[in-house]
Amino acid sequence: MSSPEPTLHSDQPVTGSTDRRSFLRSTAAFAGLSALAASLAPLRELKDFSSSEEFLQKYYKELSPEEMKKVLLRITDEVEHQYGIRPHVRDLKPMDGVEFVYALNLTRCIGCRKCVHACVAENNQSRSPEIQYIRVLKMPHGSMDVEKGNHVYDDKEVPDKGFFYMPVQCQQCKNPPCVKVCPVNATWQEKDGITVIDYDWCIGCRYCEAACPYWARRFNFTKPEIPADRLNPEMAYLGNRPRKQGVMEKCHFCIQRTRVGKYPACLEVCPVGARKFGNILDPESEISYILRTKRVFIQLKEEMGTSPRFFYYFDK
Amino acid sequence: MSHSSTRTGYALGAITILFFGLTALLLSNSWGHPPARQQIALVDKAFLEKTPWRQTYTDLVQAKEDMSDFDCYGCHDKKKPPVLRFDANSILIVPEEHKNIVMGHGSHNRNNLCYNCHNESNLETFQVRDGRELKFADSTQLCGSCHGPNYRDWDAGAHGRINGYWNTSLGEAQKLACANCHDPHAPRIPTHHPAPGPHALRTPITAEYSPVPTH
Repeated sequence: MSSPEPTLHSDQPVTGSTDRRSFLRSTAAFAGLSALAASLAPLRELKDFSSSEEFLQKYYKELSPEEMKKVLLRITDEVEHQYGIRPHVRDLKPMDGVEFVYALNLTRCIGCRKCVHACVAENNQSRSPEIQYIRVLKMPHGSMDVEKGNHVYDDKEVPDKGFFYMPVQCQQCKNPPCVKVCPVNATWQEKDGITVIDYDWCIGCRYCEAACPYWARRFNFTKPEIPADRLNPEMAYLGNRPRKQGVMEKCHFCIQRTRVGKYPACLEVCPVGARKFGNILDPESEISYILRTKRVFIQLKEEMGTSPRFFYYFDK
Repeated sequence: MSHSSTRTGYALGAITILFFGLTALLLSNSWGHPPARQQIALVDKAFLEKTPWRQTYTDLVQAKEDMSDFDCYGCHDKKKPPVLRFDANSILIVPEEHKNIVMGHGSHNRNNLCYNCHNESNLETFQVRDGRELKFADSTQLCGSCHGPNYRDWDAGAHGRINGYWNTSLGEAQKLACANCHDPHAPRIPTHHPAPGPHALRTPITAEYSPVPTH
């Protein structure tokens, strides 16, 4: 305090040491920067950014055949890069004069859940976490109330006495609520009756999941995990090609099979022949016969006005 | 004055340690590895099998299997039709040589009689109630002779399994026969062990929560 001028702050610390204000400021700045770095840390886990081609890709319905070829090639390369298997990816268009309808015989279903797993194997769903399109509800006799259904039953032997089994999957509605709510038109109904999803166009808002009265849509919360030896290399653009994190998926009547004339995977594996599928516009098809002659009593949640293309029927 | 500044110093020191501690916690949390995913076991490939439960006579012939079971006159005498034996309750006694056959066709044992379907005068054929004789390969017609509505539905494709192509102009549809699923001697479908259900990450079945009332 040798200065002749009286200082404003007589207790100012000596030069070299920090005052309280600047200490707090620097500490706050350090903590702030650390928090920022921490909040950005998940970005480091984002190893594979989607390619610029995918980012700039046009809407599915606007793609020219040449552009589609390029897109399919990109998907083929991506799958090969990721799984080490070169898949056969196709863009299959609906057939003329075909409208698909599914019918399920509740008298025959024994609740063995083989359809659930055949579907997973065919359609390259994530194994861990698990994504399944079909839920088999175990329902007490004498009721059609799905609220009484249990889909996590763990019986040693099926069918259990006093119960029937009702598998539920995407009902491929004629009036689909999921399509109406999609803000980006990433899901739509094709002319053969299948409601499809463009996984490259989906923004993952999950509106469709909320709109669906059948809980038929599934969301990829994390990157799907499929062991390479369980990958089905026969793929379709709107069908079973591997999905990414953050997109919706659902049953699409096995587009990669049904649009080349084959039966869906869940039907082929059914050991009791409870599942029936075909072209309703063909009066000779078994599905026409069933809807004409059988006791087709239910469209699930009929009162919702969704008009499903999935029918449940009884034999007797 | 000096007393209060020491106190401030202590407070500042405590805040500093708190800040550094929080920062370290934050960084270790975000820079560490994300929690490991719960691995769900892959389903047994047996549940993905499309092959039917049973093989019919035609399948066995096509697969060139051992057909000695169908060579009736290897053991039986052509001139003497085997005699059926019954126990005290009038229930058919299955002979020792045919112990692999479980009789369970229809309720109350009303149809557990060999010659309702097999032909006693030629054991290597079937006989239909209307007097027709059918080969082993035509067993569906034999079943259909009694089970009319089911045969009609099977013929139309509504009963039973069809694999392959729904569009027969693009490929073949393989229609399975009655005996591919039903054992002719005990046709009721037995119970089976179901494939595993959805992994109960979110919906554990506990004593408090059971969606279906137990019976």
